Amino acid sequence: MRVLLAKGKTRPAVELAKEIHKRYDSPKTEALLVDAYAARIRSLLETGLKKEARELFELVQQRYSCGRARLAEIGVLVSASEGKLEELLRLLSDPALPRERRRAIENAVKSLVSDLNALSECAVLASDHPLRTAAAALLRAFTAVTAGPVEPSTLELPEVSHRSPLASWKILVRAIEYFYQENDAACDRCLELIDPDSPPARLIPALRSMLGARTEERLKPAANSLVTEVCGDKASLRRALQELDSAIETKILGKILPEIERATATCEVACPELLERLRQHISVRALQLDLPTRKVRAAMGGASIKNAYFWRLFARSVESSRKPFGLLICALWEQFRRHAVAEGWFAENSPEAAALYLHMAQFLLELPVETLEVLQRDFAAEFSGFHAFYEDQPPGIRAVQAKYKKNDLYFLSPGSLFERACRIDPRREAFEQWWQWAREQESDWRIADYVAECWHRALPNHSQPLLYLMESAQKRGALNKATEALEQAQKLDALNPEVRRAALRLLVAQTGRHLRQRKPHLVEKDLAALEALPQARAADGAAFLVALRWACETIRGNSELASGFLSQIGGLLGSSAAAILACQTAGRLGGLTHADFDRLLPQRVSVDSEGSLASVTARVCTLAGEVGANFTIPTAWQELLLQELTNRPSKLDVRQLDMLGRAALGRNQREIAYAASAAGLAIEGGAEARFLLLRARALPEWEAERRSDCIAAAAALGRGQQDMSTVKEAVELWRGRCSNARKNVLDWLESEDWDEFSMTTEQIDAVLQHEKHCRAFPPDRYARSRTPFAEAGYVNEAENDDKPFSLADIAQLVAGMSQVLEKRQRKARRDRDLAAAEQGELF
Amino acid sequence: MNIQLNEDPREILGVLPNASDETIRGAYLRKVKENPPDREPAAFERIRDAYEVLRDPHRRAMHMFLSVDPEAPLLCLLPESNPERRFTGPHPWLVVLGEK
Repeated sequence: MRVLLAKGKTRPAVELAKEIHKRYDSPKTEALLVDAYAARIRSLLETGLKKEARELFELVQQRYSCGRARLAEIGVLVSASEGKLEELLRLLSDPALPRERRRAIENAVKSLVSDLNALSECAVLASDHPLRTAAAALLRAFTAVTAGPVEPSTLELPEVSHRSPLASWKILVRAIEYFYQENDAACDRCLELIDPDSPPARLIPALRSMLGARTEERLKPAANSLVTEVCGDKASLRRALQELDSAIETKILGKILPEIERATATCEVACPELLERLRQHISVRALQLDLPTRKVRAAMGGASIKNAYFWRLFARSVESSRKPFGLLICALWEQFRRHAVAEGWFAENSPEAAALYLHMAQFLLELPVETLEVLQRDFAAEFSGFHAFYEDQPPGIRAVQAKYKKNDLYFLSPGSLFERACRIDPRREAFEQWWQWAREQESDWRIADYVAECWHRALPNHSQPLLYLMESAQKRGALNKATEALEQAQKLDALNPEVRRAALRLLVAQTGRHLRQRKPHLVEKDLAALEALPQARAADGAAFLVALRWACETIRGNSELASGFLSQIGGLLGSSAAAILACQTAGRLGGLTHADFDRLLPQRVSVDSEGSLASVTARVCTLAGEVGANFTIPTAWQELLLQELTNRPSKLDVRQLDMLGRAALGRNQREIAYAASAAGLAIEGGAEARFLLLRARALPEWEAERRSDCIAAAAALGRGQQDMSTVKEAVELWRGRCSNARKNVLDWLESEDWDEFSMTTEQIDAVLQHEKHCRAFPPDRYARSRTPFAEAGYVNEAENDDKPFSLADIAQLVAGMSQVLEKRQRKARRDRDLAAAEQGELF
Repeated sequence: MNIQLNEDPREILGVLPNASDETIRGAYLRKVKENPPDREPAAFERIRDAYEVLRDPHRRAMHMFLSVDPEAPLLCLLPESNPERRFTGPHPWLVVLGEK
């Protein structure tokens, strides 16, 4: 029973004591029972049940002989709680009162006295008794501090010591003073010091609310009235909004609806100009939480206005949900655009409208191309507008919807959005985005050309679209058209490095075509034109021109002259191996075959002392990149190259390693690309992002997770290192990874790709350190499962223990499949909910 | 940026929503004079950022689109002004104290 009492469980304690007394019926058990009742009465008093406490007290006194004596103290408390302080305080007048008893009475005064006036006038105490004088002084100070500004001396209250049972009252008076002085921090500190069991603590929630703090417990009616009287209606509204926010956090309809009702009603009184905005925010929150429309509408006292503000809020809410609802977001932004134009936020053809089109296009670009096509079809078939949102709307709002009777689904196409944006506000950035998108439409080069032509027409002083047109024509072999575009670009800005590089590449391409056509006389002319270009002679460019001459003489069958050119290239590049590579690059451009190379070029490669095979390869690879020629690492060199990159500290610079890695990837020589990335990651100096991306590309398919980590880390590091080309490439690779790895649209939609593509600093560092550490190309973990049966049959049992597809593996696989199934079911439910939100369950 | 998304750069410069580019520039120069960078660096940076948002139509538009936070507590809808603190006398306070 004592244990129960210690835990504050007075009711079971009484039950237990009754049971004990019934069984043993002794004076001891009766005393025990009376003690239990005493604890119960005390508990009733603490919870404010004075009447119940009094009835129980009288019952126990009548029923048990020892009750009167044992309940004497509690009787005093019962009387005190009813405002009859006399009984309690009379005892204090007795000078022989034991110290413990006195302390108990003072504690009772501390926790029970809520009426200072009654205490100050208590006749059983002498008029100069410290308690009476303290209560009177406190009452005066309390009256003064709540009535107007006061002199500091009024609140000094020397009558109330810090040990007094009324000390909390003194602190309360101070808190109120600070509150009115707007010294909120000091007020808050005082509230912290008030004894939570004393009556002054009853004012703490109200004062905290008036200070603007968010408190979990609801204010009692009197406290609510006080807050309204002191701070006006806006304080009540603040409180109501806080409580609505708390209810929304619970996501429980039963808690949210009453709070919506209270908040909107309070808002209507306290701040009517805010009511509409509040309804709109509540509507969007309700949509987020998928709450029943009609009930929410009824609680708000009417539907919210579906104007531009609402649509913007709704669109932002769907955006921030980070779910792949790209098409829905675009449809919502389109609704916003219509209303914003109608309400005069901006004009139909203003830069703001253009910016909005670009903003919408970004959501569509997040979707892989094939997924977007499927979604566009489905959306166009099912979407019939947002008619249900327009129920109960004023005529002005309905008129906006009526203006667009026919559903124009232009917003589902990135191309249409870009075109609109660029037509309204022709800016370089907008055209670049449009062109970038168009270039990814691999099925039709004409789209990219159309964009470049639009760009050129809108911004004729930009050389970029001309260079794009040139490159496109060059790729298709339309060299005359390419030359035409280049000439225009040269007229605009002949000194632009991009234009100069393009001129070199175009001439090299033209030379290659003439070589393939076996027209040496035209090649001579091309070479003369190339030699006239300063950029063609820069760095190793001169060596490449000689390589082209080597190819020309080889085609002519002049092997002696060709051999001389080979030596000349060796001299220019400082290595016979480099000369062979340069000749192979030029020869491949001119249509020579492997057989030709085997016949015409030395088969034994010697690497000169000053450079390794890797540096020679990287040098020619860089040269080929400059002139726009394809570069291939000879198969016979792979092993040696790999050994060099893996075992020797690299002397190559960042650019060379990058070029080498890319060239290796171009021929699917992943191990070389991997080794180049390892060498690159070992270089200190801020190029880690680039080499992490190279590592991601070089990793084999079975390292998909590691690959994703590398891409995400590369993008994050690139952002930090301001290497935007790497960031862009990483994002494109990520999107490509998604579209390649997940052909199924539903699977893709279920993916958490949106969340995966961000990393903390610690995660980035972990990935970087791991990749730096892993210098060796990962082994094929499934190689053993492909071991021929006959061979596998002779493997001993110990080796068989860890074979890849054990029962545990299969169990894990099945568990994974069930997770996928669950995700798919969740997705289906989400889609149903979304469809409901779009079509019917609207505010 | 020294201005928050939910702040209106026009309010910082003290111009109307439909103010022209010239008006915005005029207001910016006036505000800079009032808050020179050597004396009021924080205020100056806010003014400069507000102007940077308003002078570029694209940034201005993006600020308009993104300047609403649907996740923000509803309490944020209330303007941030200090509530009144009226002296009421002891009665309403004492009622709370008497309410168990």
